[in-house]
Amino acid sequence: MYCISDQQIDFIVQDISKHGICTESLKQNLVDHICIIIEENLEENGDFRLFYEATIKTFYTEELREIEEQTSYLLHVQGPHWLLGRNQFFLLLFILFIGPFIAYDIAWMFNSRQYSGFSLPAEIWESTTVFALFPFLVLFVLFLTPDSLDPLIPKRSRILIGIKPFIKIIPPDKTPRLV
Amino acid sequence: MIYSTELIKGTLKTIILKLLVDNKRMYGYEITQKVKELTLDKIKITEGALYPTLHALEADGLVTTKTEYIGKRVRKYYSLSQAGKVKSKEKISELSNFIGTMISLLEIKPKSA
Repeated sequence: MYCISDQQIDFIVQDISKHGICTESLKQNLVDHICIIIEENLEENGDFRLFYEATIKTFYTEELREIEEQTSYLLHVQGPHWLLGRNQFFLLLFILFIGPFIAYDIAWMFNSRQYSGFSLPAEIWESTTVFALFPFLVLFVLFLTPDSLDPLIPKRSRILIGIKPFIKIIPPDKTPRLV
Repeated sequence: MIYSTELIKGTLKTIILKLLVDNKRMYGYEITQKVKELTLDKIKITEGALYPTLHALEADGLVTTKTEYIGKRVRKYYSLSQAGKVKSKEKISELSNFIGTMISLLEIKPKSA
């Protein structure tokens, strides 16, 4: 059975910190886990570095920080929440910001149908169009900004809406996996 | 045969809570080994799934932790809180019902002795 030294523990701590593990208790968990695997499987005169590097690779799919991100996601999402796709999120924003203006026009048509039928006078639709134009343009720009320009909501990202946090944009490479 | 993560997805919390019901207190590595042992290596819980879930269970108040120093490193032992004991019964019952439903849905006949 291999006996791991204090210097080697320090090395593991530094290495996993360097690779994105910053939550202290998660770091403690992983260090202990790695140490046990090394102690149980490495021969007494085995190569610690080589064995460590091979072991740590089995902990993740692409990068070690996936574990930190997954932990952070599970810790920060409390209560019921929705995880929306980008298009669904923009549709929701469109309904929230443009919907009231469209609803006003429709309501106006219904209320005045006995006087003017189902037509909408220019002064009504023109004013609602003016008010709806700015939010529409903002949404349009946000939606069409290419990923190369570091947009607020990148393509393939997911948007989490809940109680705490109220809203969070999860970039595509950080979309949580549950197992 | 190792089961796919798609099948295991959603059952991890229940598995951990059940192990803690049976074993009182466990640490992370011990949980992974116990699952391998009980399932004859058919289910392998990855570190990337285990520790985030343990942290979430702790944040939800379902498990409590106690740390012990093993030389320079720290070992965290997890055990069920009172709320965790209640929740584990609910989760086990829910999963058991689900398995029963799947058996009838897929028309799986129990193996005769």
